[in-house]
Amino acid sequence: MDTQDLAINTEVAALLQGMPRDRSQLLPALWRVVDRYQELTPGVIDAVSQSLNIPYAEVYGVASFYTLFDNAPGKVPVHICTDVMCALQGAGSLQEAAEDAALGRPVAVRESACLGQCDHAPAAWIGSQVMRRATPEAVRAAVKAVGHE
Amino acid sequence: MNEVRRLLPDLRSASGPASPERLAERGFDQALTKAWAMSSQAIIDEVTASGIKGRGGAAFPTGLKWSSVNKAEGQTKYVVMNADESELGTFKDRVLLEEDPLGALVGLLIAAHAVGARKAFCYIRGEYREVEQMLAKAIDTLTQLGWAGPGRIDVEIRRGAGAYIAGEETALFNSIEGKRPEPRVKPPFPTNKGLWGSPTLIQNVETLANVAILFAHDAQWFAEYGTKATAGTKLVALSGHIQRPGVYEVPFGMALADILNAPDLGGGVAGSGRLRAVLLGGAAGTFLSPDEVAQSQLDYASLGAFGASIGSGAVMVFDDTVDLQWVLTKLARFFADESCGQCVPCRIGTQRIWEIAEKGGLWTRTEDLRELGQAMRDASICGLGQTAPLALLSILDRPGLRQDV
Ligand SMILES: Cc1cc2nc3c(=O)[nH]c(=O)nc-3n(C[C@H](O)[C@H](O)[C@H](O)COP(=O)(O)O)c2cc1C
Ligand code: SF4
Repeated sequence: MDTQDLAINTEVAALLQGMPRDRSQLLPALWRVVDRYQELTPGVIDAVSQSLNIPYAEVYGVASFYTLFDNAPGKVPVHICTDVMCALQGAGSLQEAAEDAALGRPVAVRESACLGQCDHAPAAWIGSQVMRRATPEAVRAAVKAVGHE
Repeated sequence: MNEVRRLLPDLRSASGPASPERLAERGFDQALTKAWAMSSQAIIDEVTASGIKGRGGAAFPTGLKWSSVNKAEGQTKYVVMNADESELGTFKDRVLLEEDPLGALVGLLIAAHAVGARKAFCYIRGEYREVEQMLAKAIDTLTQLGWAGPGRIDVEIRRGAGAYIAGEETALFNSIEGKRPEPRVKPPFPTNKGLWGSPTLIQNVETLANVAILFAHDAQWFAEYGTKATAGTKLVALSGHIQRPGVYEVPFGMALADILNAPDLGGGVAGSGRLRAVLLGGAAGTFLSPDEVAQSQLDYASLGAFGASIGSGAVMVFDDTVDLQWVLTKLARFFADESCGQCVPCRIGTQRIWEIAEKGGLWTRTEDLRELGQAMRDASICGLGQTAPLALLSILDRPGLRQDV
């Protein structure tokens, strides 16, 4: 184990401290580490596996099922709803604006299925905040603000 | 006035949605006190008498489900609130939890009390982070007042992480247990073997909110709105080409046309102002033509006559500029993405339908599509595969909606 792995292991163990070492804690545990690291690298998965005493393959199998855990390395995901209702209200231009603003920034623009905000379409979801009746300008500003808040 | 506010709180209410004041104002503290003084059987009889049916899509009689869980053998039992709400065009549980999170929670506690569960889960989709905070506040309030908490009924929030299939009840159990959220083969049914193999009662948010208002009043009050067949009110979520998109509470039996057009409800068709079709019930719903919309009421029998169902309460409105092939292609892609892949008819079927849609074959390869659809309905393990072709089939059955052929 190299020093970087060791550091991650220690950090993850601290993050998950107090959680019962129980299989049913896997999803909450994954959320804790994703909120901290964004990306579930093999090192992070291994650390979770050791902390909760669940085989690596099992942790990987569960984590890889969920879209919200599938984040690009070092990038904050910005979700643009491009599902039917938001597409009718101009989601396409939000996506373009977000992709344009994301160039050269630590941001990954992702298409999302229905975010459940159809009464305020088009919607985007950035950080843990939903943007309702989003405009290209607002999305551009939000993408540029990532990492500065 | 067509809009009712019973499940949704009075707009004039100034109390915080998760506050003890709100609990009292809504009569929910009395509902809890009343239920706690009743036997399991009496509670279940009251739910049965109200006629409440599940609001998560399948409309299963709620009293019957409670009775099954109550009778099921098992020391440990669980109750679950399903707030995964990831169905296309569906956002009524979100609005309900934003405006009145205590209602659904009170329903959940009454459910737990009735079936003898000491542990309750609220499973909420990962994209509803702000709603989750509201829910957590409401749980705090109920804990401080001594209704919830360790030693009473322990209520735990579980956050999903972006998997539509996790809303299916058995997949949701696997998700809570820390496994891949893949549906289980039924039977056994959750009422006998749910979470960790124990009898489990799982209900939609809106179903539980109905229970809370029922116990805050009584079955007679409950039936003041609605039809003979279906008492009470329903939340509908209007979206798309509609003047006033949003969630509205309406009595069962209301004409669909009124829901779309009444000034205090939908306010009329937006966009071009000319209706092409309504997609009712979500991605696996039914398309209704303008004529059918004009003839139907919001009730299970009236809609059943058109092969439609209320489903999740989604009412998606499309004006006559919308290419329904485009809509179907999006739906097809959604199901292909979200199929968990466990069973072949669903995995292959959703993929094939998407391919056919992408190649523009939806209006021409109708025989192939019908065959695929039938195989999926017959041989898929869960509701996703069984219902994924429904919206498409509903259009094949309505050639009039295929404007461009
Ligand atoms: C693919 C799929 C997704 C589902 N998603 C949800 C959901 O998000 N919320 C929900 O309440 N029910 C959902 N259901 C229905 C549940 O399996 C279950 O029937 C429901 O939670 C029971 O509650 P009810 O009787 O109160 O409606 C889904 C079903 C399927 C097949
Ligand atoms: S029908 Fe589809 S989603 Fe359901 S279990 Fe089978 S493959 Fe998975």
